[in-house]
Amino acid sequence: MQMTAEEKDTNKVAAPGGASREIFLPPERERVKDGGRPHVSAKNFSIFYGDFEAVKKVNADILSKYVTAIIGPSGCGKSTFLRAINRMNDLIPSCYTTGTLMFDGEDVYGRYTDEVQLRKKIGMVLQKPNPFPKSIFDNIAYGPRLHGVKDKKMLEEVVEKSLRKAALWDEVKDRLDRNALGLSGGQQQRLCVARTLAVEPEILLLDEPTSALDPKATAKIEDLIEELRGSYTILIVTHNMQQASRVSDYTMFYYEGDLVEYAPTKQLFTNPRDQVTEDYITGRFS
Amino acid sequence: MADRPVHEHIKDLSNSLVIISDKVLKNFSCAMDTLLGSDRTTSEEIKLADGEIDASEVRLEEQCLVFLALQQPVARDLRTIITILKINTDLERIGDLAVHISERVPEIDKEFLRDFRFEKMGLLAKEMVQKSIQAFVNKDRQLAEEVCDMDEELDAMHRAVFKKVSAEIRHAEADAAQYIVAMSISRYIERIGDHATRIAREVLYLITGEIIRHTEGSFEKLIQSLKD
Repeated sequence: MQMTAEEKDTNKVAAPGGASREIFLPPERERVKDGGRPHVSAKNFSIFYGDFEAVKKVNADILSKYVTAIIGPSGCGKSTFLRAINRMNDLIPSCYTTGTLMFDGEDVYGRYTDEVQLRKKIGMVLQKPNPFPKSIFDNIAYGPRLHGVKDKKMLEEVVEKSLRKAALWDEVKDRLDRNALGLSGGQQQRLCVARTLAVEPEILLLDEPTSALDPKATAKIEDLIEELRGSYTILIVTHNMQQASRVSDYTMFYYEGDLVEYAPTKQLFTNPRDQVTEDYITGRFS
Repeated sequence: MADRPVHEHIKDLSNSLVIISDKVLKNFSCAMDTLLGSDRTTSEEIKLADGEIDASEVRLEEQCLVFLALQQPVARDLRTIITILKINTDLERIGDLAVHISERVPEIDKEFLRDFRFEKMGLLAKEMVQKSIQAFVNKDRQLAEEVCDMDEELDAMHRAVFKKVSAEIRHAEADAAQYIVAMSISRYIERIGDHATRIAREVLYLITGEIIRHTEGSFEKLIQSLKD
């Protein structure tokens, strides 16, 4: 079959099993400026909990400034993989990795890697909104203060900018001194996104960010992801396949620790190449 | 593994499509038999049956749209529903063409028909429709491709009618109206073959996920061959 001009634009991406293959960039109108370079690269990357290999020899490149969704059944390794990117698994004593995981050409698990600096560049938002029991302002200013910003005006600017980016500013601008725990669940989750954005990360890791939210709050988070697409590399773990298909450019499907299929979302949800993917997304799993 | 209710639902929609195809084929056969003089079903009766086909087509389309909205299918499930929707439209058009054929019956002289191979054309078009639906039911790629190949033969027969009509109609004693009716009938049957081919290609999409329409320039080929 002949390819159209726009389909010919490809990126070399490492495929499951170590073989390099081409992955299509989205059509021109959906493409993001300066995006599409490998931002995070996994090479034969495995994650173990003791003897158990939770993620098995993954080879994949996460493309910069695009949204990549990670789907798969519970226990398939998707959250483990996500948490490995900013070394959140370090907190689990039995957890160790083999192979390499590179972020912008630097080894994430290198001997001299500073986890604090790494987590500044790779922010994370968890399933359940977890604001600090502080004011809205202090929640957002927490990260910048930790990284040495003391100037009040500068902090005010960061707080406003972050809340605006997280589409929360208009709702909270008159009550920045109120306790963040008084916000609704959806607002709290957007506050957590704003708190992450305040330290100007390059990558956002979202671990089931809407599973505790109602449909309206979910829609706001999804709109926010669309807003942030093109400015940040976003990885989102979700159990909601419609959400994955709505918000992402690329989708990874994990099954029992294997990265079974990694493809443009449009392709994966209309014509998956792997039968296991097909069975999972159409609900034919036994 | 036992089918989930959602997949039983897809099967029901597929079965509805097959039932519509049976009705369409029956009506087409009736129209051809009436044309060839072996059946006395009137154009009105064929039109009435087509009304039922139209109602079934609308009902099936509504059911598919509801399914898309409520179940949000993906992958093969999505392709199946899209394919059902498209085949449904093609079948409805075939039904209309059968009515058009039956409407020409009062206008044509039965003796005049003997100069043409409409019976063979009709049987070939019917076989194409049957096989394309069979390919859908069995997800049979080979059979779908066979239907696409059969279209060439039907096109060739249509071209032969076209050439014969354009040669004969020039004679002073020729009954131009009869030749025009013959040309129309040939065109209707050829169009039915085209719809069968579309169905076959839709089945190929269902199986492979690739849209192969308009890749071979078949329409341009037909136009060119008529000019030759």
